[in-house]
Amino acid sequence: MSDEIKADKTMDLKGLPCPQPVIKVSKGIKEIQVGQVLQAITTDPGALSDFPAWARTSGNEILKTDQGGGLITFWIKRVK
Amino acid sequence: MDKAKREKLLDLFQSKLDRPMRYYLDVCTRCGLCKDACFAYASVPKPEYTPVWRAEVVRRIYKRYFSLSGRLFPFWGESKEIDEEALKQLNEAAYTCTGCRRCMMYCPFGIDTQAIQAVAKLLLIGNESEPEILSMLADASIEKGKSLDLYKESFIQGIKNLEKEVVAKWKGESDQVIPLEVEGANLLYVALAGAHSIIPAASIMNAARDNWTLSFFEAVNFGAFVGDPRKTQLIAKRIIDEAIRLKVKEVVICECGTAFRVMKHLVGKQPFEVSHIAEVMARYLREKRIRVEKDRIKGPITYHDPCQSARNGGVIEEPRYVLQHLTSDFIELTPNREYNLCCGGGGGLVALENEEFRQETGKAKVNQIKDTKATIVATGCENCHTQLGFLNEKYHTGVKVEFLTNMVANSLVLES
Repeated sequence: MSDEIKADKTMDLKGLPCPQPVIKVSKGIKEIQVGQVLQAITTDPGALSDFPAWARTSGNEILKTDQGGGLITFWIKRVK
Repeated sequence: MDKAKREKLLDLFQSKLDRPMRYYLDVCTRCGLCKDACFAYASVPKPEYTPVWRAEVVRRIYKRYFSLSGRLFPFWGESKEIDEEALKQLNEAAYTCTGCRRCMMYCPFGIDTQAIQAVAKLLLIGNESEPEILSMLADASIEKGKSLDLYKESFIQGIKNLEKEVVAKWKGESDQVIPLEVEGANLLYVALAGAHSIIPAASIMNAARDNWTLSFFEAVNFGAFVGDPRKTQLIAKRIIDEAIRLKVKEVVICECGTAFRVMKHLVGKQPFEVSHIAEVMARYLREKRIRVEKDRIKGPITYHDPCQSARNGGVIEEPRYVLQHLTSDFIELTPNREYNLCCGGGGGLVALENEEFRQETGKAKVNQIKDTKATIVATGCENCHTQLGFLNEKYHTGVKVEFLTNMVANSLVLES
């Protein structure tokens, strides 16, 4: 399922406690073009609420969230 | 800078000019006693890292616009126009100061450098030149408060996934391993949005058989870090409203110094008590509600007092009481307690792009730790933990940085 969305950049954020993943992603998304997709892999459960709140306020879009094997993976589209 | 912008910034400045602030800005004699108190200057003796220097731009703008001499003779003396250059200097001063307030302990007049930097930060916010990342994180926190229902389910799911790890540490049985939404609970525990902040504390509160409930909100207050009083209050209000709705007796803040200080000292009187988790652990030990095995964790162990919970929050002896139960090999940092040196990560600095600065200005803290020959540095603050870990990596100090809660949870003796 996960390969249905092609990621233009992947960030491995495993082991980082919140809010570090959201800080890294907010920097990382500026390194891709508008319309491209960033894949972020985290292990911290706080990301499940932090990422959607960040996406809503920063104007980006979470295309998909996947959980399994202790990993939480987000596909985030840069909208602006 | 156009006139409208200047007037807007001066209005913001005016809003901060209460009597204490006028006193701080008027009385400094430039004696320099503050300089050696600053962890940054102690590590890198550059004049721009002294508290008196950091305050100087704010002080000169104050003199230019809010003193009689500055208004009548703007080009006389040490007054300064508010312009792009001044804003650049304010930025350099304000967001390299952790707001640890150690300088205040040494100043003969008790001048509060953090309060002066709050003026600088407010002007930078008015100019929209504050660090974007801190404002963005503050906005995300406020958004969670506004639209909790959108995030509730995913949060509950994330919390459910942690329960196995809590049970592994606590080895107890309960209907609710990590309780949520418990009306009338004794404690509302406000964690950081991360497993490391929830699992150990949950194990300890369950072991003490306390009636507690986990907050839906993270404790950290990025509004306070960025220096925005409105956002600081909005972020704190989410937790206050939740505590009032659930009618809890006590709000317990996790190992986050600024979150504790904001809730304990900066939001006014509330219909609940506010405690730091170290105070709760000390209480459990004192009342024999939990037992820990002494020396299960091998030392020597030292303790880093987080500035916001210790010097500025008053939680000083409780962590030591907890450590007395954990180890017979404890050694104090010198200096310690309210005189402890800042680690250099507070005030949200660990979230900014400033690794070189944090590495350089952390030298004094590294030497302080090395002198103890400890193998474990315990602390009770997320920012401190992150910064101490960063310094450990950069200077190869070989110490392990530990949260107090994790040490207690790993030392629990479980009743049969």
